[in-house]
Amino acid sequence: MSLLEVGNLTRRFGSLVAVNDVSLSVETGELRAVIGPNGAGKTTFFNLISGMMSPSAGTIRLDGADITALPAHKRVALGIARTFQVTEIFPELSVRENLLIPVEVAAGLRLAPWLSRSRAQEIAARVDELLAMGGLAAMSDRLAGELSHGDQRATEIMMALALKPRLLLLDEPTAGMGDQETRDVVRLIRRLHKSENLAIVLIEHDMRVVFGLADRIMVLAEGAVLAEGTPADIAANELVQTAYLGSAA
Amino acid sequence: MTQVILFNLLNGLIVGAFYALMALGLSLILNLSGVINFAHGGFLALGAYLAYSLMPTIGFWGALLLAPILTAFLGLAVERLLIRRLYGRDPLYSLLLTFGLAFIFQDGLRYVWGAQSVPYQIPGWLASPLSMDYFFLTGYRVFMMIVVALAVAGLFLVLGYTRLGMRIRAGTLDLDTVSVLGVNVRVLRNLNFGLGIYLAGLAGVLAAGMLGLSPTIGDQLIMPSFVAIIVGGLGSLPGTLVGGLLIGVAAGMTTVFFPTATEAVIYVMMALVLIVKPSGLFGDEGRLR
Amino acid sequence: MTFLKNYGVTLLVWVVLLAVPFWFPYVGGYTGLGTRTIVMALAAMSVNFLLGFTGVLSFGHAAYLGLGAYGAGMTIKYLLPSTPLGLLIGVLAGTLGAMAIGAMIVRLRGVYFAMVTIAFGQVFYFIAFRWSSVTGGDDGLTGWKRVPLDLGFTRIDILGNDVAFYYFCLVCLAASAGIMALLLRSPFGRTLLAIRENERRARFLGISVDQHIWLSFVISAAFASLAGVLYAYLDNFVDPRAFHWQQSGEFVIMVVLGGMRSFWGPLIGAAIFEVLQDKLSSFTDNWMSLLGLFFVLVVVFFPRGVLGAFGRKPTP
Repeated sequence: MSLLEVGNLTRRFGSLVAVNDVSLSVETGELRAVIGPNGAGKTTFFNLISGMMSPSAGTIRLDGADITALPAHKRVALGIARTFQVTEIFPELSVRENLLIPVEVAAGLRLAPWLSRSRAQEIAARVDELLAMGGLAAMSDRLAGELSHGDQRATEIMMALALKPRLLLLDEPTAGMGDQETRDVVRLIRRLHKSENLAIVLIEHDMRVVFGLADRIMVLAEGAVLAEGTPADIAANELVQTAYLGSAA
Repeated sequence: MTQVILFNLLNGLIVGAFYALMALGLSLILNLSGVINFAHGGFLALGAYLAYSLMPTIGFWGALLLAPILTAFLGLAVERLLIRRLYGRDPLYSLLLTFGLAFIFQDGLRYVWGAQSVPYQIPGWLASPLSMDYFFLTGYRVFMMIVVALAVAGLFLVLGYTRLGMRIRAGTLDLDTVSVLGVNVRVLRNLNFGLGIYLAGLAGVLAAGMLGLSPTIGDQLIMPSFVAIIVGGLGSLPGTLVGGLLIGVAAGMTTVFFPTATEAVIYVMMALVLIVKPSGLFGDEGRLR
Repeated sequence: MTFLKNYGVTLLVWVVLLAVPFWFPYVGGYTGLGTRTIVMALAAMSVNFLLGFTGVLSFGHAAYLGLGAYGAGMTIKYLLPSTPLGLLIGVLAGTLGAMAIGAMIVRLRGVYFAMVTIAFGQVFYFIAFRWSSVTGGDDGLTGWKRVPLDLGFTRIDILGNDVAFYYFCLVCLAASAGIMALLLRSPFGRTLLAIRENERRARFLGISVDQHIWLSFVISAAFASLAGVLYAYLDNFVDPRAFHWQQSGEFVIMVVLGGMRSFWGPLIGAAIFEVLQDKLSSFTDNWMSLLGLFFVLVVVFFPRGVLGAFGRKPTP
């Protein structure tokens, strides 16, 4: 049984079929990339898995349990965390508070009206650990909205990770970044993938990033799966080359 | 009994038509600019008082024509001088601003025309009943229904077939795109506000002949208009129209059977709609958030 | 030194509030006005719990002020002349009302949420207005009085002694402010800040946003109804205007005037508002116009409020 099993997922917007009969299974420990030209349905696919919208047809299973109809926050509780194409953080809270909130939620404390001293210390220790892991310790007391684009991205990724997810969905983690920032984020993702026991699925446009990171790659075009395989398979696949040369490159 | 029911049904329909006329204006402004115009009732009252003051000189028909237009011009000015400053800020601010304007309107009207209701003359031949059996079916009631129907039809024609109307509709759906396409959004919002206020002024001129004219005339109409928008559905003008008529009739019918609950019944309807379909009868789910 | 830095403002606020009966008369005030100010401040702080710290605009909190006021007044008039029981039932009435209404509106956001809260506020206005055999209708609920507190070992005459009643209200304000401050520093309070900052992010961190907004709404309404209880006790009177949207609007303007991201802002807003109203309404018949003008001026020229000018640390 795979960690994530997506079966024949379809999403229509009126007459447009944004995601068309896509199936995918991801194992724990795997790092999977989803690529495809603009408008291929990648983000819609993520939105379906994370519960931002519901599919027109098909099923989504996590560890064998059907989660197709669950609302987003319940999927998070089961272990699905995500980041967004445009960074979503809490701009007027400090970086520390940005991480504190998901740590507390993950500890089952979202409704807690108070916290014992010892529990608060445990939580603070976990936040410090995440700050260090994301390279954010030096700026922990600054407002998240004041950070550089790259550091905001790192904050968002660490927020997702603070939830202790089993499946992490990253939507274009290096979008809009310079070379140095891209390298930093790639290094962060690789480090997390090694140290944490989770599966990562990422959408990415930068092919150096994709081929540098992914174990397997799924190519979407016009909402449907065009090809699936190891980086080497994909690089050699003629269909993929036509799709990219034809529409994106 | 039949007479009583018919009487209240007709009354409800007419009052509902006023709710709808007012709510359509509110909806136009809300949908395009994200502003709840709390001063809408004040504009309505002003339209009625202008008509009252103009009537001795230019007669009822002249006033019916001119008063809403003058009100609309004031609306354009208010949008330009005050409300425009607040676009893009938290909707809280525009709400507070129009709230303050509502107070100023009410007090100002009282200052100029007095706190007591004033005698509002409608043409004599319109005031007489059309039928002996159905004494309540006066010419004025029929006349109001016709004018409201014409105004609503006119509004939908403007929105459907003129350049301004199409731009308003497009802006309601996606303001950014409309702006990128070279439409002057500032002017568009200004004219749209004026259009909404015109409807309020027209409703005022008509309603004063039936409800009597005092500075608080707008007050009794604004809350039901909010309810009409919520019941009819967020972002849907036909929904607003239906919502207005529906709560008008419901209130009218309640008067027959349980008069104490006349005002409360529309809020009960709102609660029911919110439980069953939070976005309203014809509402767009996407506008909830 | 750190203590002063962290708690200096709070300390200053309490020193000033505790001393009101001693200094207020010398600047042209009177104890009753001081009491009214802290009661309205409590209501404004409850609105700010929702607006400033959850990012949700309620324009209908007068509904809960009114429920608290009528709940307390009717308890004493019809049930049992007991100040604490009136308080309990008043708060209960407002809280239950908020639970029901909150459940219906919690899926709405932004202007639509505000609009529905305004509309729902009016239901109670009409009920109080129409059901005159019980509520006294337009004339208000009269013929009852708050009762001196009997603590067993001693009796506090909050009825005959204005200063004693002021301190009674201040104790209620202190308890409420304390609870609100603690909640805002708790994990639950931080989820509210998260929702204010970025609702989508909050949802995808596993926060069930509608549920949290509902809770915040109910908590906020509970404090608003406590303010309502005190409001009724203040004059031993309540009329339907307690429910009116004008009252709701006044709470929001107090919040904005004081500074809506700051914990004590609404208190300052309420103080400015109440003193202005007290002084100006005796001068002029056109108080409504001045009030309206005041709203417009605050919004256009002073949108961040008195405390908005300093720091932005949102937690108390």
